[in-house]
Amino acid sequence: MKKTTLIIISFIVLLFAACASKSYVKFVDNSIKKQIEITDVKKRVKSNGFTQIQVDGINKTGKYLLFKYRVVWEDKDGFEIKSISSNWSDFSAYKNANFRINIISPSRKAVDYQLYINKD
Amino acid sequence: MKKLHILLSATTISLLLLSGCAKVQKIDPNHDTGEQVMGLDYRDFNEAASKAVQSMLKSPALDNKENKRYVLAISDVKNDTMQHIDTDQLIKKIRIELLNSGKVFVTTAVGSNGNVDSMNAQTRELSKNKNFKQSSVAKKGTLIAPDMSLSGKILQKNVGMNDDKQQVEYYFMLTLTDIKTGFAVWEGETFIGKRGSSKSVAW
Repeated sequence: MKKTTLIIISFIVLLFAACASKSYVKFVDNSIKKQIEITDVKKRVKSNGFTQIQVDGINKTGKYLLFKYRVVWEDKDGFEIKSISSNWSDFSAYKNANFRINIISPSRKAVDYQLYINKD
Repeated sequence: MKKLHILLSATTISLLLLSGCAKVQKIDPNHDTGEQVMGLDYRDFNEAASKAVQSMLKSPALDNKENKRYVLAISDVKNDTMQHIDTDQLIKKIRIELLNSGKVFVTTAVGSNGNVDSMNAQTRELSKNKNFKQSSVAKKGTLIAPDMSLSGKILQKNVGMNDDKQQVEYYFMLTLTDIKTGFAVWEGETFIGKRGSSKSVAW
């Protein structure tokens, strides 16, 4: 009985570990959540080996808004890959409209990302 | 006369003290909330370089069919602004990113003046110098000619708005040329515009 329970617990732990992705999109300031919402995040590895990410969102307000984002890229071992895309870049969101951020990895080694969105 | 001397000395000491106390703030490039300037600063070069690199990496221009790296030469990048800009402020960032991307090797054997390392030629002259172990001297015919060339221009246009305002437009124009065919395989333009007081200097 004990053995079966242990196997089940191990299986659940492994399942959660496999699902915990190192890649994510995060708002630096929580107040941004009232203004914009992320509706979709796509990630693909192109035929040339570079990872591309596309983040879709919507501006829920009746105002044109300006934000900034930065991406931190990591290799398969979790080490940061320094890149110019780690600097803040501006992006705009028209009132009551969808917006899109499309970024390509700085090298083939970059497999995971953390995308941060902040107020301008 | 003595009073005047004392007054002058006191003023000088006060000025020295004040200048000594003037606060100098170090820029944190990761969180720079400083006011924008009418001229070009490092933030503008970061933005222009980042957009150019993203555009180049997204395009298939640097994808070698034989899965090899292209050899890239840096050609002329003209400063067509009213400012004293070393265009390396832009090009160096692009070079670093492209080199780190694994898609290109950047050659310093040939290119515009500032991008050539004279050691490539000088060290080959050592074949005449018996003080050097000849097997360690780079042989003739080992340099690799470039496949691609990066050239461009930074353009400034000033537009007067009214008595106390002006608009300054900057265009960062870059071209990647396939040297064998002479075709421009990638072109990019980044616009950075600023509006401010006409008293602000943009050169």
